[in-house]
Amino acid sequence: MTATPSIAREGRGGFGALLDRFPFLPAIVILIVLLVLNGLFEPNSLSFRSLTGLVRTYMALMLLAVAQTYVVYAADIDLSVGAIASLVNVTIIVLMQHLGGGGLSVVAALGVGVLVGLACGLVNGFVVAALRLQAIVATFATSIFFTGLALTILPVAGMPAPTAFWRTYGGSFFGIPFVFYCVAVLAVLLYLLARSRLATQLLAVGDGQQAAFQSGLPVTAIRIGGYALCGVFAALAAFCITGDTASGDPLVGAKMTLFSVAAVVLGGSALSGGFGTVVGSVIAALIIGLINALVFFAGTPSHWQNFVQGLAILAALMVGILVSRRGRA
Amino acid sequence: MKRLATIAVAAAALAGTALSAYAEDFKIGLSNGWVGSEWRTQMIEEAEAAAALWKERGVNVEVVAQSANVDVPGQIAHVRNFISQGVNAIIINPNSPTAFDPVFAQAKEAGILVIATDAEVSSPDATYVGIDQKGWAMESAKWLAETLDGKGKVVAINGVAGHPANEMRVAGYREVFGQHDGIEIVNEVNANWDQAQGQQAMQNLLATYPDIDGVWVQDGMAAGAWRSIMDADKAGDIAATGEIRKDFIDIWTENKLNSGASVNPPGVMASALNVAVLMLQGRELKEPATAGQYGNAMYLPIPFISSDNLAEAAASMEGKPGHYSYTSALSIDDAEALFK
Repeated sequence: MTATPSIAREGRGGFGALLDRFPFLPAIVILIVLLVLNGLFEPNSLSFRSLTGLVRTYMALMLLAVAQTYVVYAADIDLSVGAIASLVNVTIIVLMQHLGGGGLSVVAALGVGVLVGLACGLVNGFVVAALRLQAIVATFATSIFFTGLALTILPVAGMPAPTAFWRTYGGSFFGIPFVFYCVAVLAVLLYLLARSRLATQLLAVGDGQQAAFQSGLPVTAIRIGGYALCGVFAALAAFCITGDTASGDPLVGAKMTLFSVAAVVLGGSALSGGFGTVVGSVIAALIIGLINALVFFAGTPSHWQNFVQGLAILAALMVGILVSRRGRA
Repeated sequence: MKRLATIAVAAAALAGTALSAYAEDFKIGLSNGWVGSEWRTQMIEEAEAAAALWKERGVNVEVVAQSANVDVPGQIAHVRNFISQGVNAIIINPNSPTAFDPVFAQAKEAGILVIATDAEVSSPDATYVGIDQKGWAMESAKWLAETLDGKGKVVAINGVAGHPANEMRVAGYREVFGQHDGIEIVNEVNANWDQAQGQQAMQNLLATYPDIDGVWVQDGMAAGAWRSIMDADKAGDIAATGEIRKDFIDIWTENKLNSGASVNPPGVMASALNVAVLMLQGRELKEPATAGQYGNAMYLPIPFISSDNLAEAAASMEGKPGHYSYTSALSIDDAEALFK
């Protein structure tokens, strides 16, 4: 699942080589440190129930971070992932409500949800790669557009999801919580995608658009492909949000956009493109969740919690980047 | 050596029991998902103070608070942290009416009492202890209608369109004004619970309708609206609803404004805490909490400030900072009276 950059990075031994093979190593170390710290402050936080809760809450952010990683591969960025998730959330909620909330209607709604995510991704890709607008500004603009659509579909937060839907997401099968099946499916999906041509091509484009173009790669199509993939994963994230909140909210994903970018960087991918790891992004999403929990378990006074959270995320980013830089220098 | 260790452990255990000499020990988690106003800070501080008062009754109430600007998933994480910590009860000022159904169900499975305050929730696993937002609006609308002797042109300035509390308030004043044939609502605008936007909206309304008699404006914008009314020299001709913050109460007193304010006291969370402790003690409510649209609410009385009791309200806030809100809460005795 590790994506190695197209430029050969051979001839270096030790730590540097290890980091090249596993760019998410610093993230794993931070994850373990945070787990230990959480366990020290609140032993219960390492119980099976608590860890399940952690994954259930941050599954959506993991998927958004993965979505973001694919566009970052190609040195692009998508500031509309949160808005896409919100749009898909309200779309499937309204559809399930209209279709009666039965099993078949849920499947149909989820299908439409994936298509909506895909369509949003294609719009982003078209605007950024075909019309050649700056990714950061263009996707910010489309995020406002997608939010506007979401508000039209469901103006007020609160339409409930069918009970069976969220009972499934929150439930267990054969003694194993449903979200762990989601994690397993995600792992398989990421493994297949890492071997796919699109992933390699995205990295090649990120490494040098000019070079990729000159070597005959269809750069525009590849970048659009990256955004499309991003849109689909944002839709999957919306399914998890819907499962966890059991309701529609046209603004629910808004705050998660920048967290997804933070997770990508924290996971060891380069925002400048051409080098990255989706596994790192998944781990980093959990790191952000663990930091939020730790701030509370460590007994931070309530009016300092936002401040300390920000500081801790900054510290984790710095540690990760410093380690990677030294390793790769 | 081993024996020494045993003695040390025994001593520690003894010390432990001595420390927890209270008859009862409860741990209560407070969750607040938005820190944009001083009202919320005051809400948490009053709840913490209320918890400390239980000591006199031999009940040790430990309060743990999570208060940060979070989205709905972030506040769900608050609740999960509380479940991990094994609190006895969770009191939450929720960011969404419906999104907490799953996590509240999980809290209940873990044997945790869940109480929502300030905004109602749909979860059947939670109880709402707070004011009725619709009733809050009806109180001040009644005051305005009576002050205008049941006739005149009125405008309304509301908060965020689509916000559940806002919609309940709009329904409240419309119902009251609808009962008075002489009252005509000439316009309703949204100013997003922001003083500057409230001031701007009032300016526009005064320019468009120079002959209005009354303004029904929600708290958080009323001070701004009144500034526009005073700037236009209309303070003597217009009656408008007001705020419960000390800086506004001072302006109200000084300029003898024709105002009245329904109180949504920051003490609601303290009231909820006292109710929670009694429930944790296994006491039963005289009247089960079945009010409201979700059938799980227990409504608290809504105080009202008008020119009649303005001096009293001002006196109770003497020496407090300008952002301090007039407050009231169920004392332990008040709360106890609601139980069997």
